[in-house]
Amino acid sequence: MAEVTLTVNGVRRAVGADPGTPLLWVLRDELGLTGTKYGCGEGYCGSCTVLEEGAPVRSCQVPLAQAAGKRYTTIEGLSNDGSHPAQRAWLEQNVSQCGFCQPGMILEAAALLARRANPTEEEIASALGDHLCRCGSYPRILSAVRLAARRAAAGGRP
Amino acid sequence: MSTRRDFLKVSLLAGGGLLVGFRWTEAAEGAAAAGVPFRPNAWVRIEADGRVVLVVGKTEMGQGVRTALAKILAEELDVDLDRVEIEQASPGPEYTDLGTGGSSSSMDGWDPLRAAGASARALLVAAAAARWGVDASGCRTEPGRVLGPEGRAAAYGELAAEAAARTPPETPPLKPAAERRLIGRRVQRLDGPAIVTGRARYGLDVRLPGMRFAVVARPPRFGDRLAGFDSTGALAVDGVEDCFAIPGGIAVVARSTWAALAGRRALVADWRAGAGGDFASEAHARALREAVAEAGVTTRRDGAGRAALAGAARRLHAVYEYPFAAHGAIEPVAATARVESGRCEIWSPTQTPNAVQAFAARTLALPPDAVTVHVTLAGGGFGRRLGWDFDLEAVEVARRIDAPVQLVWSREDDLVHGYFQAASAHRLEAGLDASGRVVAWDHRKASTPHNARRRPSREQLADPQFLAGSSWGVNDQPYAFPAVETSYRVVEAPVPIGPWRSVFAPSSVFARESFLDEVALASGRDPLALRLELLGADDAGVPRIAEPGGARVDRLRLRRVLETAAERSEWSRPLPAGRARGLAADVFHTETYVAHVVEVAPRARRRPGEPPFTIERVVVAIDCGVVIDPDGVAQQAESGVYWSLSNVLGETSFARGRAREENFDAFRIATFADRPRAIETHLVPNDDERPHGLGEPVVNSFAPALANALARLTGQRPRRLPFDLAALG
Repeated sequence: MAEVTLTVNGVRRAVGADPGTPLLWVLRDELGLTGTKYGCGEGYCGSCTVLEEGAPVRSCQVPLAQAAGKRYTTIEGLSNDGSHPAQRAWLEQNVSQCGFCQPGMILEAAALLARRANPTEEEIASALGDHLCRCGSYPRILSAVRLAARRAAAGGRP
Repeated sequence: MSTRRDFLKVSLLAGGGLLVGFRWTEAAEGAAAAGVPFRPNAWVRIEADGRVVLVVGKTEMGQGVRTALAKILAEELDVDLDRVEIEQASPGPEYTDLGTGGSSSSMDGWDPLRAAGASARALLVAAAAARWGVDASGCRTEPGRVLGPEGRAAAYGELAAEAAARTPPETPPLKPAAERRLIGRRVQRLDGPAIVTGRARYGLDVRLPGMRFAVVARPPRFGDRLAGFDSTGALAVDGVEDCFAIPGGIAVVARSTWAALAGRRALVADWRAGAGGDFASEAHARALREAVAEAGVTTRRDGAGRAALAGAARRLHAVYEYPFAAHGAIEPVAATARVESGRCEIWSPTQTPNAVQAFAARTLALPPDAVTVHVTLAGGGFGRRLGWDFDLEAVEVARRIDAPVQLVWSREDDLVHGYFQAASAHRLEAGLDASGRVVAWDHRKASTPHNARRRPSREQLADPQFLAGSSWGVNDQPYAFPAVETSYRVVEAPVPIGPWRSVFAPSSVFARESFLDEVALASGRDPLALRLELLGADDAGVPRIAEPGGARVDRLRLRRVLETAAERSEWSRPLPAGRARGLAADVFHTETYVAHVVEVAPRARRRPGEPPFTIERVVVAIDCGVVIDPDGVAQQAESGVYWSLSNVLGETSFARGRAREENFDAFRIATFADRPRAIETHLVPNDDERPHGLGEPVVNSFAPALANALARLTGQRPRRLPFDLAALG
């Protein structure tokens, strides 16, 4: 079995798995990073979203072979201590109910904030539009992203 | 160690802490009266280092139960909320009735947690007073510390051992409501930091050394039986280790989830058709419609019942239909099990840990105490995890291999092979007198009253009381009609039916509150005024308290939520052209009162799949008794709107004995694009002294309020869920 090397949360990892294995299962089953969630396996729900070179991707749709040499950020690596403006805003707005979909939501939001410092409600709803939350946390996500943007503008990092 | 036989047991912890054992439910009173020794089933530990650990037997599924229960304790114990750690209880002799359902956790935990917190606080104060040689009345507490005269102070942790040697007070003083610091105030969820950093552990996140992953190939259609299978292809998949039959299907065991899924795809199974393989929901819907053409078993009769319709000056009737629906929690069901040397350990996001323990023990022919169940966080529950089918599958695989195993349901498994909210049809008929007053009310329901895969007996299916228990929202309707008859007709289906958020109520309340709106329109009445009248607003002869079908309804409180929703939504103020409002209300059997007003407008630009309307505003008025956290109530109110909206937009339908909606491309969950522009939650003041449930009560009246708004906006009345969006456009 070929070994594939990728960088996850700043650490180079060599993975020996079938090159067709989706990154989602590499992260969860091989690397023990269970913060990336399995919700549908087909790219419909967004729970498995991670950042690839800073851009959001559905890790269930990325075969290991394609991940070779790339840099990924998972929810465990978004900050050392939960201090990313999105993470803090999520707590302040009491966004999470069951919380299962939230790692994907937060990473998508972090990517949006990195490219749009002050997104409108429509831009947030559109960027996160393909993420599903069965608990209905959507209104609070919109508030949290706006709050994170204000915080970042006031001096925090994006 | 000292014991208040009726409610408390105090002992010293190793390391010098204070252990307070108490009982979760009022069952203790009965036990004490019957002379049974007091046995705690809930615990608080105050460690010598000042940490407070609450052992909780409730499953966190997003309803915020861990935070709510910790708040109740912290308030009376007088500690900061961030000092409270939650430890999840496992079934055992002390925990014989764990379980989370029925929106009852805060309600049931209120009295025992307050008593335990207040008792522990009194013990700590008494210990401090004794140490200082002062009277306890000269001492008070601030969060985590006892303060005495002349600036004396001692932390709870350092007093814990001395407190453990004392006898708890007979009636610990409870904090007056005006002095509460936590109850009624907004706090941040205790589980929040773990969730936003990815540290939160759900059922799928259990990781054990040497573990395997397994999926099960299940019957493609209802009734299919396994005649044989060829595992050659599956075993050729890299990482697949074993394939074998277990009850319900063929397990594929592998070194990773992905290998197990790939192995299952490569498996060739021979399924033989049985009964139910031709089931189609369209034919079933027809059978339900036909069933309500006739009255069934009467579940309630007031006055002359249905016969009163004959004397009415005018009669109106309508039929409403409601679909099957999967739960669709984003975390598919999964459990992890290890069976070795006569012991079994299970890790599961279960809502019913004791049943998991009992059935796992029975499956393995082990005594229950040889089975340990660890309850994880659940990525949504909604009633699905009241079933233990997935737990037993994990056990069946684990007993056959020499490693711990995580039994994973794929999304498709979860949406196709779970159990479902039952489809139903409702026929309502009202008799009006010459002045337009409703004098007779007839509500017939037809559905499949199974619950959690247990098929009712023939006797139960004919038993009015059993059927009344499956008629929430029908027989326990709150309105004061002079004559009422409600009935139920059983229509069988091969679909596994089980608890779903709000269980039997959503369909019934949709039908009831929609029909009341039709009655109002047809008789030229305002829907709010009609409801208030039926709840005795202008008639002292209407009793304030009604007890229909074992429920308890305070009509004044229901009127108040209606009035609050109306006032906040400016119900009496006309809307501009192209806007419309609808109203609906419900009281759930947990005595939580909810009213919704929904305002709609035509959607200007419509993309494919989008409804032809937008929801401009949702006003929710709630009376849930004592408010533990106003933001927690708002969160549940928002959740109820989205849950119900998903039900308005989607369903699970069946063709040839199988669910059509296999993944989230077809199973519709409301999303950002569907969002109401605003959801406002308003708490209605009340003099109740207890909190009541929220998770389920917030669901029921949204869909009919939306339907009532759309009927005004479009002239087309949606009488079926999911709504026919083409007909409304």
